Amino acid sequence: MNTKKRAIGFYLSALAAVLGAAGVVFTVLGNNASPDNALGNISTLILAGVVGVLLAVVASAASVSLGNHNIVSAVSVLGSIALYAYLFGSSVGQRVTLIAGLFSFNAGNVAGWQVFRMSIVAWVCLIVAMVVLVVSSFVKSVKVAQSA
Amino acid sequence: MKKSNRKGLWRGLTSATCFTLSLSMVLGNVLEANAGTIDTYLGTTSEVFVSENTTDNPLYNKFTPPAELLNADGTGNSNALISAAIDLNRREVGEGSVLLKNENNALPLDSGSNVTLLGIRSHSNLLGSSFGVKAQGPYISLEQALSQNRTDFANTIAWSVGSRGAAPAATISEWKGDEFDFEGAGFNLNPTMIDIYEKLGETYIHYENEPAAEVYNPGEPSVDEIAGVNASYKDSFAQYGDAAIVVIARPSCEQVDYLPGGVAEGLDFENGEPLSLTKNERDAIELAKEASDKVIVIISSSASVEIGSLKNDPDVDAILWIGAPGCYGMLGVADILSGRVSPSGGLFDIFTAYNMSAPAMQNMGKMYYTNTEEVITRSGGVLGFTPGAYTIEAESIYVGYRYYETRYYDAVAGKGNATDPTGAYGSTTEWNYDNEVTYSFGYGLSYTDFTYEFAGEPQFNISVDSETGAPSAFATFNVKVTNVGNVAGKTPVQIYGQAPYIAGGVEKSAIQLLNFEKTGLIEPGQSEVVSVVVDLQYIASYDETYDNGDGTNGAYIMDPGSYYFSVGNGAHDALNHIMAAQGMDASKMSGTGNADQAYKKDINEDFISLTMFSVSKTGYKISNQLPYADWNYYQPGEVTYLTRSDWAGTFPKTYDALTLTNEQLIKNLNGQTYELKTDDDTSDILWGVDNGIKFHEMFGVAYDDPKWDKLLDQMTLEEAMYIFTFGGPSIPGVESIGTVETYMIENAGNGVAVSLNATKDPDAPWAIPATDPNSNWHPEVFANAPIGASTFSPELMYELGEFTGIESLFTGINILWGPGLNTHRHAYNGRNGEYYSEDPVLSGVAAMEFAIGALDYGLVAAPKHFAFNDQESERGGVSPYMTEQRAREIELRAYQLAFEATKYDTEDYDAGMRGLMTSFSKIGSIECTTSEGLMTEILINEWGFIGYAVTDIYDDVDLWSAVLNAGTTCFDTRGQSGFYSTTTLESSSLFRNLIEGKGLSANFIDGDRNLQLKLKDAVHKNIYAWSVSHLMNRYNSTTRVESRMTWWRGAYYGAIGVSAVVMVASAAMYILSSKGKKEEEV
Repeated sequence: MNTKKRAIGFYLSALAAVLGAAGVVFTVLGNNASPDNALGNISTLILAGVVGVLLAVVASAASVSLGNHNIVSAVSVLGSIALYAYLFGSSVGQRVTLIAGLFSFNAGNVAGWQVFRMSIVAWVCLIVAMVVLVVSSFVKSVKVAQSA
Repeated sequence: MKKSNRKGLWRGLTSATCFTLSLSMVLGNVLEANAGTIDTYLGTTSEVFVSENTTDNPLYNKFTPPAELLNADGTGNSNALISAAIDLNRREVGEGSVLLKNENNALPLDSGSNVTLLGIRSHSNLLGSSFGVKAQGPYISLEQALSQNRTDFANTIAWSVGSRGAAPAATISEWKGDEFDFEGAGFNLNPTMIDIYEKLGETYIHYENEPAAEVYNPGEPSVDEIAGVNASYKDSFAQYGDAAIVVIARPSCEQVDYLPGGVAEGLDFENGEPLSLTKNERDAIELAKEASDKVIVIISSSASVEIGSLKNDPDVDAILWIGAPGCYGMLGVADILSGRVSPSGGLFDIFTAYNMSAPAMQNMGKMYYTNTEEVITRSGGVLGFTPGAYTIEAESIYVGYRYYETRYYDAVAGKGNATDPTGAYGSTTEWNYDNEVTYSFGYGLSYTDFTYEFAGEPQFNISVDSETGAPSAFATFNVKVTNVGNVAGKTPVQIYGQAPYIAGGVEKSAIQLLNFEKTGLIEPGQSEVVSVVVDLQYIASYDETYDNGDGTNGAYIMDPGSYYFSVGNGAHDALNHIMAAQGMDASKMSGTGNADQAYKKDINEDFISLTMFSVSKTGYKISNQLPYADWNYYQPGEVTYLTRSDWAGTFPKTYDALTLTNEQLIKNLNGQTYELKTDDDTSDILWGVDNGIKFHEMFGVAYDDPKWDKLLDQMTLEEAMYIFTFGGPSIPGVESIGTVETYMIENAGNGVAVSLNATKDPDAPWAIPATDPNSNWHPEVFANAPIGASTFSPELMYELGEFTGIESLFTGINILWGPGLNTHRHAYNGRNGEYYSEDPVLSGVAAMEFAIGALDYGLVAAPKHFAFNDQESERGGVSPYMTEQRAREIELRAYQLAFEATKYDTEDYDAGMRGLMTSFSKIGSIECTTSEGLMTEILINEWGFIGYAVTDIYDDVDLWSAVLNAGTTCFDTRGQSGFYSTTTLESSSLFRNLIEGKGLSANFIDGDRNLQLKLKDAVHKNIYAWSVSHLMNRYNSTTRVESRMTWWRGAYYGAIGVSAVVMVASAAMYILSSKGKKEEEV
């Protein structure tokens, strides 16, 4: 009979889920910091982020039941990366004009700087989450021990 | 490799390439949505105009650079272009620098003079503003101009540091282009001091472009620190003691003001204020006295610096103001110091002994309503402006010299308690002109002397259009100017005027500039007769209480009485001549007057009627349009405006804690000025009609030609909304009329802010190719605006506009957000370097000449900011309150002059400036962008404006419908591009939170008839402005846009492609490797 112990990949996927959740939270905080700079599709972005987090969780959990590099985990990771990227890219695109202004003619925009800081944290979390998911794809998620 | 490892490898590669694919796709989207801006900064061209040059539809034949800037084959000659810029900047500063003091034959200096330069700004020059009118690229330093004869552009590149801690950066990365010979001053400079300041520059770091600061430190080293570098530095004075030149600088830039008392601690500012000299600066001047018997102080600033002590110091021999001279302007300074050019500038502002003595300074800075949080619901917008900021401009029309000269006149006349010490800074017992003023507006010295006399009687041409009632009233003054000195020179010819003041009546300045010209170079003993045409509407006064008899109030009136005109060296001199002609007590006057330089004209109802100017030149009946500009309109009696009938009793107090109580006032401040309709019948408004007209056919078609209506009817409502919503720099295409998306607009007032190698029109025959060694030359090289004003030369102002127009041909920009045209309300406005002057006629003529000159080469100048952008502090939300008289006679007159451009009207052509940028600020409680009084009644109906009227960047985007209603023609949406695809009316983040509680959409005004009609008018104005520009060089029936591959586009395309291929392959391998035996062991 084979028993499985969790390996590094499992924990990396879980970490990616946490980072993704943090990315969603900071995206929302940035959105709420200034109503005039609210993201246009925040509901969609939240949904994408949450689904991305769930997929990262699925990737982690599926490895326990289905073993290393199983198809469910593999597809879940791809989906999670894609959704995190969408969340990241969509919010970057909507922050370009704000950021350009902060670093030039609008340096005194206090609310804008708060949005910027929240956004940066969100983006870092999402980028790191994606990188972590990539790394988790290379490594084992469980150690399989065979017993007599 | 174990099977599990192979699976992991393929799975990992699949994930990794999914990551790169996803990022490439989303970031590629971001890049495309901002492609225009990215192209500008990276020098790439992602989309190009493509038009085929045919015999029937020739291209590039409407506006071309002058032949001397082209090679024989019609291609651009970058060397010639840069040479021409050097020459113009040199002449600009040579004629705009103002010699304020020159005693003991201090200046000019002989060639070969051995000179010591002192003050760290003599080594680290101030050339421009870190934001606004930046001096970009390689430059010629003061040291080079004074001692060398060839540029060293490769090693002399201007740097800039932003306000609020932004990091410093070089304005261009490197220069590998041409070097240029020039004729320097031929001085020998003290190398010891140069070395010392070079070393001290490691501690006192300065850049060629710097900002003002709310707590200012000029960064001048102490004498001890100088000695700390080289203890025996004074030994060098003996060898370099022919003259000692000290340079003092005060920077200017967008975003930040100087503030009252805003000085860094421990620097012992002379008057405790940022525009007075620190101890170290004063010590540098004392050092100069040790270095030489000949002490010259150079002031590099955009505002009045408090140099009264220098004026009165017998050991300071000469004072020269040089503005922020731009990249090559130090050559002009060298020309003056060496005597190659006799100075001929006049001051752009009055220089006071204490800038705080200006009545405007009593209400300057950051002031907020006491109950902002309770009643102001409108937020600060996407730019995060602070709600609730205001300033009461209680000084009325008494801005700058108007205050000092009028109070002086009344003091001599013994009227209005003018000598009361209230408002005096120079004394506690009386107000005395000599204590308060250092140098008068318009004042300037030369190396020679001139006499001025009226040559005959002025010619008056007065008429009224019998149909419209539009007035035409001009007086031509012929002034004979004689050079009675020993050196050839030019001089301004400034005509001033005085209207009769009735105590308790409408406020009138005792003296005001009416117009000016400049002589040519007059040789010693020679004369020149200069004609100066005065538009008499500018000596009329706006009386907002005047009852028009038709239910309206407010008109320009010409009170009957004695009007005086004079020619003088500045406002004070001109006033003294008038006072002499009036027989006033010479013993009480400051300076002397010559009655022969004044002319008296009695004006009565038969000559010019009281209400002749109550109709505008367009035939429009004038009445009050800005009642809400006055605080007292909504909350009566709370503000007292300054009146010359009671200087002491009405000298402004500081209104820094006003409370909002009036409901309408609050509603205005909350942006509730327009109600969007949703169910109007708009079925008769034509959209999407096929009339078969294309944009390229509209070149030369007059604005009121019916062909425009047919063209506009072709557009769909959605297309028109795109044109109004996205007003630049990138403008959407309009398929129905054959236009394509184009990046067509840029800043600035001192040159076009696009490098040659980033031209938006790379297919122009004269476009400088990237392979040209000069291709990274940046055209923003000229001096700050006050220098242009101080030339008092309409010809030079025109030439600056022409050259900027030429630059625009080389850079493919056909609309310019510039020059700056706000008023120097006081010296502390940090952005004064971008605006011309405190005087509206000087400012207006400068802008008019610039704009008309620019149009010669197809550049539409859109000066900023219309209007009342009087300070940088809280510039975004600030409400300046003022009387309508003040608004019209001071703030708006400069714009009026340039929009009417009467000088350039012909029988068949109504000349005028064809663009403007509105202001961040409000006028009273109403945003300027949404003020119908300002944008429609005054601007369009009274002045006949036709052209491009854009908001400031992202301004009032929440008030989309009100902005359209008011007459503004589009929004500044810098960064937005990729219209109809990556950027749509619905998706643009700027327009998601409109005051109506919803976002913008293509159906937004389906039910608002008024706005649809206003939209047609706005689009008409925009497209008309394009049609008079060199954009038409590039258009014919074959015009289209083609995408071009840029390195950044290629990078993300490549990343997408490679990622996709590798991802699919890796996924396939992962699946294949998943078949087979199950995983067996750890």
